[in-house]
Amino acid sequence: MLFPTLAFGVFFLFVYLTTWSFDRENGRRKLFLLLASWFFYAQWDWRFVGLLIGSAVLNWGVAALIAQKPVDAEGRRIGARWLVGLGVAANLLILGVFKYYGFFIEQAGELLAQFGWGRDLPLLQVVLPVGISFFTFQGISYVVDVHRGRTPPARSLLDVMLLMSFFPHLVAGPIVRASDLLPQFERVPRLTRAMAAHGLLLIVWGLFKKTVIASELSVRLVDPVFFDPTAYGALDLAAAVYGYAVQIYCDFSAYSDMAIGIAALLGYSFPRNFDQPYRASSMQAFWRRWHISLSSFLRDYLYVPLGGGRQGLFASCINVFVTMLLGGLWHGAAWTFVAWGALHGSVQVAERLGKAVLGQRRLIPGWLGVLITFHIVCLGWILFRAENFSMAMQVLEGLGRFQTASLVTPFLVLLIVGGLAMHWLPPRAIEGLAERLKVAPFVTMGVLIGLAILLIEAVRPDGVAPFIYFQF
Amino acid sequence: MSDDPDDLDAIPLAPFPTAIPASPFPPRQGETPVPGPPGQPVDADPPSDWIERADAHDLSVSHKTQRENALIALGRFAFPPEPAPGDDEMAARDRRWTSRIIAVATVFLLVFNAASIQNWSRQQPPGWVTATVQQLSDVWSAQLMQLGADQPRQTVRDAYHALTEARFGGPPTPPATPPSTD
Repeated sequence: MLFPTLAFGVFFLFVYLTTWSFDRENGRRKLFLLLASWFFYAQWDWRFVGLLIGSAVLNWGVAALIAQKPVDAEGRRIGARWLVGLGVAANLLILGVFKYYGFFIEQAGELLAQFGWGRDLPLLQVVLPVGISFFTFQGISYVVDVHRGRTPPARSLLDVMLLMSFFPHLVAGPIVRASDLLPQFERVPRLTRAMAAHGLLLIVWGLFKKTVIASELSVRLVDPVFFDPTAYGALDLAAAVYGYAVQIYCDFSAYSDMAIGIAALLGYSFPRNFDQPYRASSMQAFWRRWHISLSSFLRDYLYVPLGGGRQGLFASCINVFVTMLLGGLWHGAAWTFVAWGALHGSVQVAERLGKAVLGQRRLIPGWLGVLITFHIVCLGWILFRAENFSMAMQVLEGLGRFQTASLVTPFLVLLIVGGLAMHWLPPRAIEGLAERLKVAPFVTMGVLIGLAILLIEAVRPDGVAPFIYFQF
Repeated sequence: MSDDPDDLDAIPLAPFPTAIPASPFPPRQGETPVPGPPGQPVDADPPSDWIERADAHDLSVSHKTQRENALIALGRFAFPPEPAPGDDEMAARDRRWTSRIIAVATVFLLVFNAASIQNWSRQQPPGWVTATVQQLSDVWSAQLMQLGADQPRQTVRDAYHALTEARFGGPPTPPATPPSTD
């Protein structure tokens, strides 16, 4: 069940009306939201609802054991390190089995064959549960935060289950941490006009980005070019690369916007996940603006435990590189994703070294930094989109092959330019508009929302492709 | 470390102010005046609002500058305003506002966007529910088409289609037809 479908619209209306009909009965509200979330998840594959439940029980149990340990002066639980390790390892094991088993077995088979020890290793066709990377990361953050004393253990198993299964963020994030969401579950949610106006605008804006910009670019330009890059010349290939940069932003940020908007209409607040990423003038700034919930997760649960920047410049460079490498592998079980992570990591290392040598002096103006960063990101997107290195090389080689463009049209150029231009809108434009609209009468607001959705529905292609980040 | 708050060398004051502002009072007996930091003028008294030529008898002695309309006063007496709503009442109002917006938008879309329901039902796998929804949406769409409610959507769709079909260098050339052999 995808957000921009009529089926989801009907489902959400039912959930919205039922949730608010519980009024002050918070326990029943949470139970209903949990059942609704399981129903939502079961639309992909009902068998994986069991996995979701098992994962939540595991994390709740480990956190409950950690919470029984005494607390030191810094709020950390004493003698609970092995429990944290156990919890994190169990979560990573679940992720590893479902997501990386086939990849590692395949690589091991090839490695053994190179040494002449070729064997038929037990390859399994494991179906990847949608959103497994997201809910296992939420489980890890809950266990670690309870150990660090950043969040108290949940009052009930119901809260942990809802934390991991809550349908707005379940399949593609944002990764909402326990310290953000559990306190909200403990009190009766409240819906204010500002939240409602903001949520409705985010849903409409996300709908536009996904169903119009991302879908059109995908169908008319990116998919045909990446299907056979050798059939196209430099103009088409360049347009497809820029088009994919816009597509993946509009696709993923649309999901986040809609998730934040849907949660807001149910009275819950999610953190921002994107902040005009292509405005970044360095790779470090890019990761402060792109998939913020993942980059902050990687920072707090990987980079900092590795040592962060505490052990000097050289160690911090290695830590950044390793973090980005693993961040790349998180996106998918393929060497192209590892290479994508390595590219981002090595550019960040170069930036750190440059800063260490030059200090605060800037060698290039800001606009040139934005341009260079954007093109490095685009280079990364080629690796990200290509099915293998050979295809990525075909795209790169084709960028030097001049022939008449066969796919690029004024409409596609408009979409690409528009998708990039939206990064130069005022940074908090939606919030500002919501502040203005929250005083509007409900009829005006209802007609405006209806009109906006009508316009989107009139121009969107039939059907809707799954969100790109569902596969992760 | 000294506990004297004036001992600037002993206590790292940042991020708090690191310079003691000049006292507005005259130095006490036996004290030497502390000069203020160079370049900062000593705050002067605010300009006096005393009007030399004003006569005290000219000033109004009445506190009320405007008389309230008698009808408004009577109205307020007869229908006193309700006390300000509490948090729960405000929350309920905001929820009602949101629910009504969703209701208005839903009705708006049911009228002007009936084709979407039709399209969606046709894309679903066959079944009793799908067939029922399809029949209902067909009837609903046909009725609204007679009223012309589908026209705004269709107009936008046509314009959008024309935009997507535009090519650099003019309209697309039709495929060449083979010459007739008659």
